[in-house]
Amino acid sequence: MATAKDFVGRINQIDGVAGCLLVKDDGLVLGQTLDDPEEVYSTLMQISSGLSENIMSSIGFSYCQYLSFNRVNLQNFYVFPIDKYWLGIVQQENCSVAFMLERVSQLIGRVSTGGPGPVS
Amino acid sequence: MIHLIDELKVIPGVIGACIVDSQEGLKVTNLPAIFKAERLTLVGKHLQKLYSAGRMSFDDLTDITLNYDESVVVARALEQNTLIFAICDPTFNHNLLTMSFNLLDEEFKLGNFAKAATVAPSAVEEKLTVAAQPAEKLISGALQDLFAAMKEELGKVLGPMAGFIFDEVVEGWVEQGHPDFSRIEELVEQLNQEIADQDKIDKYRQLISSTLKNFQKG
Repeated sequence: MATAKDFVGRINQIDGVAGCLLVKDDGLVLGQTLDDPEEVYSTLMQISSGLSENIMSSIGFSYCQYLSFNRVNLQNFYVFPIDKYWLGIVQQENCSVAFMLERVSQLIGRVSTGGPGPVS
Repeated sequence: MIHLIDELKVIPGVIGACIVDSQEGLKVTNLPAIFKAERLTLVGKHLQKLYSAGRMSFDDLTDITLNYDESVVVARALEQNTLIFAICDPTFNHNLLTMSFNLLDEEFKLGNFAKAATVAPSAVEEKLTVAAQPAEKLISGALQDLFAAMKEELGKVLGPMAGFIFDEVVEGWVEQGHPDFSRIEELVEQLNQEIADQDKIDKYRQLISSTLKNFQKG
């Protein structure tokens, strides 16, 4: 099982990822490659997690794969739920988004299958 | 107002859209009637909170996108209290929808929405009806878990609309009698009527058979 640092490091190496952070559902930042995540990203991730679940139950959807905050500067911010953790990713401006998302999803699938989560 | 969001519905993969005001609630929708007004209003309010949180972090935020298993929700604030969101099939063309949102934003700024504000689609009228007690409150925890599994399997057969269809059928089923496993075949039969395709009905039966057996065994 990967440690939080390993996992964050591997995510960060994916083409199209400008930076990322892994946050536990209690708000604890377990690993990050971004500046100042406490102020900008982790709080937003906590708020997002609750609201995306509320939307899910309100309308009857089954599972939130990820959500994204799309920006004019194209540095979109993605939030992926992984068991009790949330992975936040900042996208590079000029990249293949589909490729990046596919690689991230693959890696998440690898660490979250058959185990309690990506961190130890 | 309705014609403005009807243009969104032309985009391949877009199931429909609606506009929600944080104070006035649901203003207009062209989503299928299965999307109840009260639920859309609730979703709109959650999206407005999410959008506000995003705007606090990113000054240049345009849209927010939520990718669920069956569907994608794309939302944009038109002004401080008004938000539009579209519900789409996962294969929808995101760039085209974003472009259409931009055009719609322009229309909104030109005031074209206010002129047609009297248009009241059927789903809005439904808001005036007294909401029944939510079905899930009447169903036991164990049965809710079973239904969650059945709903997920229905998604493999019916695609994006499965969740809504399942909830609708369950609501009707609860109204017809005590929500108990002994009536599960009635529920399956009602779901079959919604599926309306023998091959898909067979497939669904196959998908849920082990789940039902396991539940019965306890």
